[in-house]
Amino acid sequence: MSKALIELVKKNFPDAVLESHSQLGDDTLVLAPGRWKEVCLFLKDNPQSDMDMLTDLTAVDYPDRDPRFEVVAHLYSLQRGHRLRLKAKVGDRDGETVEIDTLTELWASANWMERECFDMFGVKFLGHPDLRRILTYPEFEGHPLRKDYPADKIQPLVQYRDEPNIDKVAPFGVDEGMSFGRQTHARNRGDDDSRMN
Amino acid sequence: MEPLDQELESSELELPTEPMLLNVGPAHPAMHGTVRIVMELSGEIIERCDVQVGYLHRGFEKMCERGNWSQVFPYVDRCNYVSPMLNNVGFALACEKLLGITVPERCQWYRMILGELARMSDHLTCDGAMAMELGAFTPFLWMIKGREMVWEIMEEETGARLTHSFGRVGGMAAPPTDGFKEHTRAVVQHILTIIDEVERLLLGNRIFLDRLENVGVISAADAVSLGWTGPCLRATGIPYDVRKAHPYLKYGEVDFDVPVGTTSDSYDRFMVRLAEMRQSARIIEQCLERMADKGPVNVDDPRVVLPPKEEVYGSIEGTIQHFKIIMEGLKLPAGEVYSYTEGGNGELGFYLVSDGSGTPHRVRIRPPCFLITAGLERVITGQMMADVVPSFGSLNMIGGECDR
Amino acid sequence: MPSFKLDDKDIDFLPGDTIIRAAQRAGVDVPHYCWHPGLSVAANCRMCLVELMPPPGRPAMLLDVLAWDDLHQTYVPQKKPKLQPACQQAAADGMVVKSQTSEHAVRARSAVQELLLLNHPVDCPICDQAGECRLQDYWLEHQASKKRMKDEPIHKPKGVVFGPTIVYDAERCIMCTRCVRVSAELANDPVLSMRERGNLNEITVAPGRQLDHGYTLMTEYVCPVGALTSSDFRFKARVWFLRSARSTCVGCATGCSSYTDFDPRNQKVYRYRPRENAAVNKYWMCDDGMLDYQRIHQGRVLEARIQGEGVSDAVALEKAADLIKQASPQKTAILLSAEHSNEDNQALLDFGKALGALQLYYSGRPQGQGDDVLKSADKNPNTAGVLALSGGRAKPFTDLVAALKEGKVGVLVALGSAIGNPNDAGALKDLKNFVALSTHDGPLADHAAVVLPASSWAEVDGTFVNRTGLRQESDRAINPQGASRPAFRWVQELAKLLTLTLPWKKASELRSLSQGADVSASSPSAPPPGGE
Repeated sequence: MSKALIELVKKNFPDAVLESHSQLGDDTLVLAPGRWKEVCLFLKDNPQSDMDMLTDLTAVDYPDRDPRFEVVAHLYSLQRGHRLRLKAKVGDRDGETVEIDTLTELWASANWMERECFDMFGVKFLGHPDLRRILTYPEFEGHPLRKDYPADKIQPLVQYRDEPNIDKVAPFGVDEGMSFGRQTHARNRGDDDSRMN
Repeated sequence: MEPLDQELESSELELPTEPMLLNVGPAHPAMHGTVRIVMELSGEIIERCDVQVGYLHRGFEKMCERGNWSQVFPYVDRCNYVSPMLNNVGFALACEKLLGITVPERCQWYRMILGELARMSDHLTCDGAMAMELGAFTPFLWMIKGREMVWEIMEEETGARLTHSFGRVGGMAAPPTDGFKEHTRAVVQHILTIIDEVERLLLGNRIFLDRLENVGVISAADAVSLGWTGPCLRATGIPYDVRKAHPYLKYGEVDFDVPVGTTSDSYDRFMVRLAEMRQSARIIEQCLERMADKGPVNVDDPRVVLPPKEEVYGSIEGTIQHFKIIMEGLKLPAGEVYSYTEGGNGELGFYLVSDGSGTPHRVRIRPPCFLITAGLERVITGQMMADVVPSFGSLNMIGGECDR
Repeated sequence: MPSFKLDDKDIDFLPGDTIIRAAQRAGVDVPHYCWHPGLSVAANCRMCLVELMPPPGRPAMLLDVLAWDDLHQTYVPQKKPKLQPACQQAAADGMVVKSQTSEHAVRARSAVQELLLLNHPVDCPICDQAGECRLQDYWLEHQASKKRMKDEPIHKPKGVVFGPTIVYDAERCIMCTRCVRVSAELANDPVLSMRERGNLNEITVAPGRQLDHGYTLMTEYVCPVGALTSSDFRFKARVWFLRSARSTCVGCATGCSSYTDFDPRNQKVYRYRPRENAAVNKYWMCDDGMLDYQRIHQGRVLEARIQGEGVSDAVALEKAADLIKQASPQKTAILLSAEHSNEDNQALLDFGKALGALQLYYSGRPQGQGDDVLKSADKNPNTAGVLALSGGRAKPFTDLVAALKEGKVGVLVALGSAIGNPNDAGALKDLKNFVALSTHDGPLADHAAVVLPASSWAEVDGTFVNRTGLRQESDRAINPQGASRPAFRWVQELAKLLTLTLPWKKASELRSLSQGADVSASSPSAPPPGGE
């Protein structure tokens, strides 16, 4: 692939690029999170790179690292046929402040992809016009693709939303209905006492 | 009821004037599975709409992290479930890119043939369903008959009609059967006849054309910004096909054209798919000619491929190889890779992150129709309610791929 | 620090180290079968062959060999360096060793692996070693090809019973002699040796003897293949379903470090394995300790009882609190247990202090046989810990028997399940106000008015102090079984019912409190709990 892209970005943003590699033919740049939007804007508008498509935007959770998450974007240029992978490391070990700038003003595909990233990992995209969950329902608790979210976790039953005439809707009452959805599998191991519990 | 012979001023009529909120709920025959569109209608025109997906979210990416690399194949099968072979091949290629191995030639041709057959079945379903939703039931049934024939080949080869999980890292699960070539040639001929008949039935029909032409238009710039790929992007005039732009397997050695649309409406998307089926038939014919009748289908690396059963039962090395691969799983080296192929809907990408153990750290499936459905809002806003049906149908949103 | 180069990596070594030992210290694995860091060097497997570059100024030691030339279809003479076994070659400063970077060593390893597998039976599906077998791992790493022998493999005896604990399979054996060396060097009982020659080789027990010394399970542990299997663990579980917890053996006061292997799906412990601990047990454990895991699931008290009848927890707690209120502090006695962890004992000590109980005793399992290898005669894991926690004030069980006879005891709150001398059990018969927190059935649980089921060592994290005063933590493996809870949780509940305040609330607070005790205060002259 073209290492020229990596050189181009390094030349124009020498302090924004933290690492770079081209393993297996995929050119990759690790950027400082604060310069995320700047570099993307440059890559989109610069005629040498001409990245007109954001093909993929996702995140990966590395619970042993600090910062914990890595936001990964894949850019592609239809005219020139070259690709670039951009990464930015965000988030603290507990997964509390995980923030990065949005790219919705640059590419419209970022809209839904950032919503999915937020839904699955809890990454907040600053400036996103409509950051809400997309693949799960609004009352979902937690962020499923994080490594500390157990795959067999049972979500609490959702309270009926504010509907008029709710009692005319079956099952009639919150306690009725089928019981098989309410079993829990594992004991909750929340506090540090759990190992000697 | 006001008497009909009286002239009424429009101001005397009590008509509501605020937009109506209509919920085209997830359980709806035109919603291709499970998409919910909440729209604000002013009369028939859609003023605003909110497309809500996720009703078929099964948590594949999380599930992949709990098993081996080989156990991901059933999951990717169920992504784009109308063309599962393309998903299998895409994922196998991604793993092989990470491993740095190339499958033998015979396997490459085999993968291409099965992939193109899957693409034909995908387009048959999409175009057939589009026709049916507009009221043309006969072409739908003919195209489904064609799809049945493709599924019969799949059943012969892989054992299952739809979710076959046939791809493996380093090859395929089994070599082609003896009757494969004749069977495929016969089926492809038959499908080409079906396509001809469907064209004769539909393309002269006034109603069909009126419902599709200039309906669901999106500009090329919008499509690119939205990340559209595949037939939907090609209908806008941009000739981007991963098979031509970045050839993989043996696509660089076969001749085929990439049909491109002009007006980027639903009619163009319909026609692009129809034309692509003919091109797929061309590719299949060339591959069938060039595929050897004998030879290995799997790469010869004991770290990756299971040994034949006689060796597993007869020799200790075969047993150990079988044991290590099954019990500990394939060990892909640590690293990350992004590998992309042309799926039924566009660029199907796999971003794999491996930590060197047999368990995937992250399997990201880049779903082409997720981004296409993101554009649905832009496509149907300003159109009439009834135009949603052919527009949405022409986008070919597959719930399994969109939501995973 | 003297160092040598292994595959372009600098490895520091201590004087007297062999290449393989120094590499192991540095975390680099040179493949081997017959070498073990705790045993003498045999160098018979030849798997660890490495290429040594000649020292500067000396010619390389080269052998004349014949190599097959495919192009000309004939043998041609060639020179090949003589490879040395890394397990026997002493490391020297400045040595250059090639292991994976030497094509000769790589070819040699592949050949050794092929030869080892030539006659190996196709037993993986029924072999217990599957999943932790060196042949499997090294085949994939070093050979990855088929064998070239077309003949029928040799057949040897299978399922030979060596002794009460070990079964031998001669076909799987690779003749590494690790078992022979373990018996001779660790157990001082050279009962195993090799028999016959060539491919009829097999390991055999000395005539007229059985493999019955105290460390027979160590022969199974060192065996790199499935030739020696433990008749206790045979066919019980597949190792890839088992998870390991880092634990401490509670069989005696030595406190060997161990791994507790359990299946999380059915919450059962299947075996122990030794854990390397240079200060206590090096690489080994005795048979008694290895088989001690059976006690986790046998003879347990798993429900609260009143007068031998099963009752619910709440009812039992109420009754226990009632009984404890029956006597004055002078007549309240607390019995600690050398079988239980520091945390359990500390909890009961604090409880006693809050009650104002003046009488403090301790008990434990009866004495047994010790030896000079690993076993201790004191079969309780935490004697030193109990004495240290109580500041030496806890009196032996015989004193409690005397006090009971003199009627000085009104209420007894006991921790533990066993007492040193079973004949003393009669003294407990007449005591009415007797609350026991027991893990197992025994004299204490049988005579108690109220029994509260305590969790065993495998179900709770615990700290144990061994006979040399070393404090070791044992991690828990499975969830508390039945209705059992950690003993300190029962103590907490009782304190709540009796409105007493304890100086800790969370388990971590209890642990740090129990660590404050000075271990050296345990006087070596204090009698062990079993009595003299």
